[in-house]
Amino acid sequence: MSKTTIRIAAGIGLFALAMLQVPSASAQGKLQEVLSRGKLVVGTGSTNPPWHFRDEKGALVGFDIEVSKIIAQGLFGDPTKIEFVNQASDARIPNIVTGKVDIACQFVTVTAARAQQVAFTVPYYREGVSLMMVKGGRYADYAALKAAGNKVTISVLQNVFAEQMVRDALPEAKVDQFESVDLMYQALNSGRADAAATDSSSLRYYMKQNAGRYVDSGFSWNPQTYSCIVKQGDPDWLNFVNVALRESMTGTTFPLYKAAFELWFGETPPEPKIGFPYEFR
Amino acid sequence: MQVFLDQVWTARWPLWDGFLLTIEIAAAAIACGTVLGCIVGIQLVFAPTLVRFPFRVYVDVMRGTPLLVLILAAFYIPSVAGLNLSATQAGILALTLFAGAHIGELLRGSLQAIPPGQAEAARSIGLTFPQMLAYVLLPQALRSALPPWINTGVELIKGSSLLSMIGVGELLLKTQEVIGRTFMTIEFYVFAGCLYLITNILLDQVGKTVERYAGGRS
Repeated sequence: MSKTTIRIAAGIGLFALAMLQVPSASAQGKLQEVLSRGKLVVGTGSTNPPWHFRDEKGALVGFDIEVSKIIAQGLFGDPTKIEFVNQASDARIPNIVTGKVDIACQFVTVTAARAQQVAFTVPYYREGVSLMMVKGGRYADYAALKAAGNKVTISVLQNVFAEQMVRDALPEAKVDQFESVDLMYQALNSGRADAAATDSSSLRYYMKQNAGRYVDSGFSWNPQTYSCIVKQGDPDWLNFVNVALRESMTGTTFPLYKAAFELWFGETPPEPKIGFPYEFR
Repeated sequence: MQVFLDQVWTARWPLWDGFLLTIEIAAAAIACGTVLGCIVGIQLVFAPTLVRFPFRVYVDVMRGTPLLVLILAAFYIPSVAGLNLSATQAGILALTLFAGAHIGELLRGSLQAIPPGQAEAARSIGLTFPQMLAYVLLPQALRSALPPWINTGVELIKGSSLLSMIGVGELLLKTQEVIGRTFMTIEFYVFAGCLYLITNILLDQVGKTVERYAGGRS
């Protein structure tokens, strides 16, 4: 190795070291940073109704968007002071870790493994899997589907766990996997499948869009919790977001949460009970 | 079919915006990439070994790395270093670096394919190095580099679809957004695929026309 090469290598090494020591966050904390900036930077997606998608005019809408507005309302008293950063699902955690966004509200499923990398806020929805059937079809509800054993066919979105997921609820049913949501619904409409199994929220939204055409089997399983995520190591920011979200489900801002819930899921969430704060029960 | 056409009509502005952004990104990347590539190509041929070395490393790293990895690197590494690029800026940066390496390498090939007698003749009539480049070598090199250069443009238009991964609202992401709302997966992916195909065929034709006028050897 020539002397020059060694020098160049040493230079690159020193530079890399210097990069590592650049302070990652400002000293004042995220809450003050957001307040003085005057807007909240939220990471979310744009392709998944009813969570985050673009309406016909191209505006970002959905339940995740409403949740973000609740937080902005708490910060500035103005739900419009948000900059949405569009990100793919894989980018949710990296964009938090590298500080590209203040918070991500993008149907992030809470898992212990993810909690090692980011901080989860309090949950704002519990997702599950439900079965949707054509109204007036052969089977009336979940009990009828289960009783029919291997005579029923369930259409489901292709995925490694799809078969097992359906088997958990309907052990004998035939499972038809489809590559896309439209094909999965088509199978149901054409009668190739007796029921479609997918995320409860998606089904609720689809049923609301096509009112009167479908029925829910009345059974849901496979629980998973949705929360927003923030960067670790800033308890004041996490606490602020938690308060804003929690009070939208239990306190003063409940009307905002309720309106969003009704708009995107077509049903009314349970009213907070007056008296003892039931989340401590 | 009618339903699909209605949906295309409803979504015409988002799709159009996405299409424009795709073209803009590709155009910006090919413009910046060409400037960068010219510098790199000339250095690769004429610079002394020590100066050439970093350019060689740059070209090899860029050409040996998947474009998606480059895009993710351009999106995340600057923000760790405290430089906040928007997704579109990061995407153009990645595509520029990618194009610069490819154009540099193809220019190197074109320059080295010129018979050495040309440079010797230029020097013997007293042209300085910049004059030799401007009047003798580059006109010949650029002519033979034109077909692969158009090819790089086509690669960039296709490659720009990867920017949907970092949330740039180009044609593919806009298409996915429409699919998210309408659930018409196959129809809209075929539609977007046709738009890319038509654009690239047109670009190819433009390239062929320019080639004919420039009198390039094909």
